Amino acid sequence: MQLFLIIIVICVVFGILMYNSLIGKKNQVDNIFASVDTILKKRFDLIPNLVASVEKYMDHEKEILTKVTQLRAQAMQGGLSDEEKISLDAQLTNALKSINIALEAYPDLKANQNVIHLQQSLNEIEEQISAARRAYNQSVTDLHNAIEMFPTNIIANIMGLKYRTLFTINTNERENININNLFNNK
Amino acid sequence: MKSTSELTDFYYSELYPTILELEKKRKTILSKIKVHGFAGLVIFIVLALMIIKNFGAHSLFFILVIITMAIVSLYYNFLTSGYNKEFKELIISPIINAINQNLEYDQEFFVSQYIFERSDLFTHSIDKYSGNDHVRGAIDGVDIEFSNIHAQYKTRDSKGREHYQTLFRGIFFIAKFNKNFKSKIIVLPDIAQRTLGNLLGGWLQANNFSRDKMIKMDNPEFEKQFVVYGSDPIETNYILSHSIMQRILDFQKKISYPIFISFVNNYIHIAVDTKKDLFAPNIFKSLLDFNQTADYINSIRNVILLVEELKLNEKLWRKI
Repeated sequence: MQLFLIIIVICVVFGILMYNSLIGKKNQVDNIFASVDTILKKRFDLIPNLVASVEKYMDHEKEILTKVTQLRAQAMQGGLSDEEKISLDAQLTNALKSINIALEAYPDLKANQNVIHLQQSLNEIEEQISAARRAYNQSVTDLHNAIEMFPTNIIANIMGLKYRTLFTINTNERENININNLFNNK
Repeated sequence: MKSTSELTDFYYSELYPTILELEKKRKTILSKIKVHGFAGLVIFIVLALMIIKNFGAHSLFFILVIITMAIVSLYYNFLTSGYNKEFKELIISPIINAINQNLEYDQEFFVSQYIFERSDLFTHSIDKYSGNDHVRGAIDGVDIEFSNIHAQYKTRDSKGREHYQTLFRGIFFIAKFNKNFKSKIIVLPDIAQRTLGNLLGGWLQANNFSRDKMIKMDNPEFEKQFVVYGSDPIETNYILSHSIMQRILDFQKKISYPIFISFVNNYIHIAVDTKKDLFAPNIFKSLLDFNQTADYINSIRNVILLVEELKLNEKLWRKI
């Protein structure tokens, strides 16, 4: 009887520890996602300025600029799910990349201090976003491991923990936003 | 930055007269060491035999060994200290200048204890702090500073005797980092995981109470070699970008000593645990020996090259 009680107590203690560690992992994912959100918002704030500054030079790329503005508007709406936010981030990153590539065709922009400054800020924010995405993906991987591995998978199942969407990280991102190539190739 | 072969040329051409002069001194000291060492050995054996024959006491013999060791080490230091000093003044100092003219070298000075403790690489309290061979200056616009450091702490044995244990002995390097950050990031050699395995070692690392939270990085090789502690996972990923992790790994491959890195107050601190002084000459090896020369030059170059290796000179936009 005593042995049985000891086993029960040990099981309960382990159960509590596993439950707490799972909650910790879930909260970590949520916390980091909140920070990702904050940094993404910083980027949204820069977009109207960027669009306004390059609009008058870029006659042929109105379509990309409109798309960027639209994506920003969509992303700024409330009530988006995490998956939607992640998907919008990827689209916005790609659209901004297109602007950067298009910028190369406009030497006048090289001289525009405002555009240069905006590009610099954007570049810095891209670095931060990339770091935030990596931190988020790592915390999601930790959570997924706990959901899948024995014995935490049993508790995770009871708790109804769900899989999260990972950010897809484009390793070429950094080079694409590299302002050096755009403005310093005199 | 001059290449190793350029520096070797410089060593054998411009420094050659000085080297010959110093080599003569080295040979004189070495022959003294040999003659006096032999004489000392004879005296030691005679004394030891006398003690064993007359007293047969092991404790007395033990005391003799300790006294002999102390005398040998004192006498050795006495013989070589002048040579060490001249070697640093006449050989090391010009090499550092040849590597980069903006660097200042001081034999006696060393990185302050405040900076060493600020790095937070070693959490133990320090009771004795010393160093030498201080180099300071700007490379490609990056302010750097490094020196040998020997940090020790006091322990007491069961008989209440005090002993000094080495906490760190090696090169301590600091440079302004090219990204702004607020949190503290510590990168340590992954000894626990390597020796105790993934499960136990990993658990011990994750539960290191003297450190911030352990942060897993998304570079498997880096994870295997190092353990990272930080207060902010996003900022840790921001500082330890894929490229800097790769550069740290490359640097670690190049040198065989364990490296400790921290990012605090917008500075990067790197401690290389060489367990010896960086620029101390080896009295038993000729100054004309090519391998030995390459060794001296490379050990200086490797540290100064850190700026280029870690691309600390690459300015990011925010720092402009």
